[in-house]
Amino acid sequence: MITNKLFPTLTVFGTLAALLTVASCATTAPSCPSPQTRNLDSAISFVKTSLNTGCQAHFDRYYDDLLRIAEGDPKPENKRTFSEFLVWSGDQGLLSTRQAEEYYNRYFNVKFMSMKGDYNNCSHTCPNKQKVLFNMERELSDKERGLLKVSEDRDGYYRADRLFQEVELVLEATCTACAAGR
Amino acid sequence: MNNKRPLALPVGAFDWARRQATLGLLLAASVLILAQSALANTPTIRLFPTSVVEDLRQTGNVARDMETGLQEVIGRLDQQQQLYEESKCDGAENDSGCQRLARQIGATYLEMLTIMEERLPDMEHTVNNTRMSLEKGLRNELGKKMTPWQLQETLIGKTTTSTTSPSAPTLRGRSGMRLSERFKQYYQLVATSGSQSDQSLAVLASDIYLDMDETSLLIERTRQEIARATLMEQLNQSFGIITPEMMEVVGGVKSILFGDEETRALVAGPPPGSIEQAYRSPLEQ
Repeated sequence: MITNKLFPTLTVFGTLAALLTVASCATTAPSCPSPQTRNLDSAISFVKTSLNTGCQAHFDRYYDDLLRIAEGDPKPENKRTFSEFLVWSGDQGLLSTRQAEEYYNRYFNVKFMSMKGDYNNCSHTCPNKQKVLFNMERELSDKERGLLKVSEDRDGYYRADRLFQEVELVLEATCTACAAGR
Repeated sequence: MNNKRPLALPVGAFDWARRQATLGLLLAASVLILAQSALANTPTIRLFPTSVVEDLRQTGNVARDMETGLQEVIGRLDQQQQLYEESKCDGAENDSGCQRLARQIGATYLEMLTIMEERLPDMEHTVNNTRMSLEKGLRNELGKKMTPWQLQETLIGKTTTSTTSPSAPTLRGRSGMRLSERFKQYYQLVATSGSQSDQSLAVLASDIYLDMDETSLLIERTRQEIARATLMEQLNQSFGIITPEMMEVVGGVKSILFGDEETRALVAGPPPGSIEQAYRSPLEQ
């Protein structure tokens, strides 16, 4: 009898406890929305706040959001804005120096981060030539975005494009020469 | 006595001497820095030793001799072929006049093959010499002594803020010009390579090397084919037949030796304007 009376009470308490648990989870995990503004400076402020309040894991998406917003208002000063944002990210411990360099140079530098390595070309680049060139081609499209669409640096982008073609030619010759020497 | 002189000088004179000494040191330091930067700007990769320059010159001469020898024969072949077509010999192979014309064409064709057979070994020799010298240079200088990043820096130049070098090689695409003209152009570019930057030299050496590699293979195949084609034509002579293969070979030789305007590749031009950057990020490498 007592058990029959207690059962509905226990059910109500159980449901309440479950609801409270779900609610508490919802408040601890941030939703990390993308910036809605079209202004790059405001968007960077928004992103900085988000990154400092538990959204570090969304760095890649935020960087992409910022690039998209900057594409709407391209200008040479955007390079500095992105550089300062990345330096800030490094200072905050969100990125290592190497990561910050990678994010910046991949989009805003003429030189290719995909063509790096500590060993000589015969032993390191030539065996992976196709992969290196494929990665460079992908990086070139990021440079198109960073240099051309965000920073309006047409000359920089054309130089990167030419550098890619030159690397293709020089690697073809060098790797043929390396292979002939074996 | 010299050691004592500063002590004997009045205060003003001492200051003057010190200023002079400081100025002297500064001047010496500036000279050192300037000398070092001049050294840094000097091309350091050795891709075109004297032997390569000489090989290129010789290859150009051999190619010119071959062209001269073949030009007259090919001109004659063209005339004979024109006459054959104008005489409506296509489809009238049994006509005795047409057979005579076909034999004449065949004989001229054989003459062309003989000239090529005589000249090709020289050509092969000089092309291979150039190819091997360049191969060694590319392998050592760009392949073994450089990391991919260094290669990239060499191609782009030390400073990305400079304008596109006017001396950058404009050779792109190797067809569309006379063989001897091509080598002459290579020779001229290489002979004046002292005035060119490392980035231009690396691209130029690669371009020439790949061309030599391709030419070398073509010569080898052509030499193999000549023997076969000669035998075939000697047989054809007895029947007075013009084979389509014969016309193809003549066409091929013409396009290799004298260029083919239709296949002329576009020459890559420099990007417009300067690539001067207003901003340099501390993250930039």
